[in-house]
Amino acid sequence: MIEARSLTKVYSGKAAVDGIDFQVKPGVVTGFLGPNGAGKSTTMRMILGLDLPTSGTVTVGGRGYQGRVWPLHEVGALLDARAVHPGRSAYNHLHSLAAANGIARKRVDEVLEMVGLASVARKRAGGFSLGMYQRLGIAGALLGDPGTLLFDEPVNGLDPEGIIWIRTLMRSLAAEGRTVLVSSHLMSEMALTADHLLVIGRGRMIADMPMSELIARDSGDRVEVRSADLQSMAADLRDAGAEVTLEPGGTLRVAGLESRKIGELAAARGHVLYQLRDVTASLEEAYFRLTGESVEYRAAVPVAS
Amino acid sequence: MSTVMAASGAGSAGHAPPAAHRRAWAVLAAEWIKLRSLRSMLVTPLLGAIACVGLADLAVRHHATGWPHLDAVQRAQFDPLAINFNFVTLGILLFGVLGALVVTNEYGSGVIRTTLAATPQRGLVLAAKAVLVGPGSFALAMVIIFGAFFTGQGILSGAHAPHLSLSDHHVLVHLLGMAGYMAAAGLLGLFTGVLVRSAAVAVTSMFGLLLVLPLMADKITPNALTRHTVPYLPMNLGDRMLRPIQGLSPGVAVAGLAAWVLVLAAAAAFSLRGRDA
Amino acid sequence: MNAQAGTVPRRGTSLDSRLRATARSEWIKFRSVRSSPLALVAAALIVVVGAWLLGVGNRDSAAASPDSGAAFDPVFTVFQAIELAQLFIAALGVTTVTGEYASGLIRGTFLATPQRAQVLAIKALVFTVAVWACCTAMSYQAFFLGQAALSPAKHAGIGDPGVLTAVFGAGLYLTLIGLLGMFIGVLVRSTSAALISLFGLLVVLPIAFIEIPGKITKNLAEYLPDAGEQAFQLLHTGSYTLGPWQGLGVLAGYVAAAAVTAFALIVRRDA
Repeated sequence: MIEARSLTKVYSGKAAVDGIDFQVKPGVVTGFLGPNGAGKSTTMRMILGLDLPTSGTVTVGGRGYQGRVWPLHEVGALLDARAVHPGRSAYNHLHSLAAANGIARKRVDEVLEMVGLASVARKRAGGFSLGMYQRLGIAGALLGDPGTLLFDEPVNGLDPEGIIWIRTLMRSLAAEGRTVLVSSHLMSEMALTADHLLVIGRGRMIADMPMSELIARDSGDRVEVRSADLQSMAADLRDAGAEVTLEPGGTLRVAGLESRKIGELAAARGHVLYQLRDVTASLEEAYFRLTGESVEYRAAVPVAS
Repeated sequence: MSTVMAASGAGSAGHAPPAAHRRAWAVLAAEWIKLRSLRSMLVTPLLGAIACVGLADLAVRHHATGWPHLDAVQRAQFDPLAINFNFVTLGILLFGVLGALVVTNEYGSGVIRTTLAATPQRGLVLAAKAVLVGPGSFALAMVIIFGAFFTGQGILSGAHAPHLSLSDHHVLVHLLGMAGYMAAAGLLGLFTGVLVRSAAVAVTSMFGLLLVLPLMADKITPNALTRHTVPYLPMNLGDRMLRPIQGLSPGVAVAGLAAWVLVLAAAAAFSLRGRDA
Repeated sequence: MNAQAGTVPRRGTSLDSRLRATARSEWIKFRSVRSSPLALVAAALIVVVGAWLLGVGNRDSAAASPDSGAAFDPVFTVFQAIELAQLFIAALGVTTVTGEYASGLIRGTFLATPQRAQVLAIKALVFTVAVWACCTAMSYQAFFLGQAALSPAKHAGIGDPGVLTAVFGAGLYLTLIGLLGMFIGVLVRSTSAALISLFGLLVVLPIAFIEIPGKITKNLAEYLPDAGEQAFQLLHTGSYTLGPWQGLGVLAGYVAAAAVTAFALIVRRDA
């Protein structure tokens, strides 16, 4: 379990991370979300003892990182896939890492096999594509078979097969009881991978809850209705106390009335229904609603809604 | 591609903490693998070694052929050791730059973060690098120096010029001193690299500090300020160690050089531990 | 997105405006990296402060030399700090190019301007102008400060024969050194390799040539890049047969050779 208490990091007067508290529990995949510059990478570097907190603490398994001996057996991380010397082969890069923590040489071959780089193991990393760098980084994280794993943008550059592979990998790691923290911008992937979400914005914790709760909180009970006679359907629904909006394309968006009740109402008033559908918010919508205020770097052109 | 982890249980958190000597060995092994797996770090010392021995060879040959034509005064001044080891400056630079590159390579590529994540005890990482650079430089320097010595003195004896052997007065000490000098330069380079983190700045500083500064300091006629500072530049200390003149005994010179190394080592250790990776 | 295709204002695409655009871009790149002003400031400090120190430190030798105009060279004496400052200018030249390769910026540059020779030429031009201006200014300062430090012992005035040449020569020498660094950077593309080669050529090779005695090396030694140092000497005595302009010419020859190779390679190689 990763635990942070009042964790703060200040860079030249500005708090990149501002007194955050969180727990990352084992057995679930925890997604770390937030706009660019929100403090995700800084937090991950502090978990790994690479950046020293200005104040507050962060521990893994109850202990800080700095004093750990041979930490790769307990914590594995993919922070920056390109942090490889281009003149070195993939094999030697992992071999030096393994040797530093007393990990056997054959484990290096094992992880290279696991990530699909066995055929290019002895080639210089300088010639790798982005996806190959990512796989090498993931191999490095898996080297010590650790109980805690941190991934910063692991899907970046992977082909569709690779994306499904890493998603399955992360879920199976969590299913084995490990602690998995994933930071990503790819909402669609995050929605399929993460069970629990930490949302950070401008250095502060905005949300810390299970995925289902976040989505439900944002969904409300909304129903999409298509009918032969939209106007009178809408009028009937309003009489029944629901909020009705006419969406472009001829759909009614109804809030405040269950779909069951809408169906019964339509039948009672003799309306023909073409579509009656419960709408759940997407992670993307929920995320935008949450972080609307905390986006640090915003494009001038508004997102089409 | 496998989709499932090798069945070794969810993490090996239950292993017993390794003994101190195993930890030290592990860090050292990792540093050695990093060093030997980079072609540039193998080729550069090799080329440098060839250049050094080659330079020595050329110089000695020239003096050997000129020996018969020297007059009595010149013959009295003939110094077989000085002739053989004119390349010392080059060697110092070579090791200084290599020492810096060992570290700046990691900062440049970002590998330093992986290294420090694997071994959070940063003092241990620095010590391992120092063990590799210091004694490693010493060993390589010995190979170069002894190689140059035997070939050079061999040429001199072949030309019937004065030459030395290892058993001669003070020769072995002198050779060891030169190797120590080069090892010190390597360490100075390493610690400078940790402090400045950039290859460009480190290489420029090495050339500036080790080579250009003493050359220029020589050109200032001595005054009170220079008398108390210039002799203590690392290169000048090294020179005094090898060629004692009045005012600075070799023992003091060795201590001075060691002091330079230790001070930079402490600064590097503080910098590494106190700063973000 | 609401922007209509092609509404970003496009300046005229005559050769003149294209060159100007490249020049503007290269100037912004040069001045906006912290290391550029730092290197120039460091070099300036070394040359100027060094000139004063050297002047003060050499008062005795100046006083001691007989007035018949023998060995003492008041200009060269105070300008010797240039030998240290040249390392910084050389490093600046190298990193102006290798920094772009290391960060991958070179691809963006060539995307914006596919005419690679044009980019390199303009880059060199911008560098030359900036560095020459700084180095000439610092040489002037160093000269006056150094002569002031030397006085009342034997020193030179700005109007003395050969002095103006020396002062301008110092600025030119440093600029050429910087350019040499830049072109070697293009050839080698790696910061450390370029620096080592350059410093080896400038500093180590002359020492090596001194150490290898012999007529051949003695004659060859005059044609090493540091022959350019004749440029900021007042007296040309001893074994050197080259005058200031010939010395600079030798250095310029090296720069030209590196430049030709660099231009040939930059067009042919992958970015």
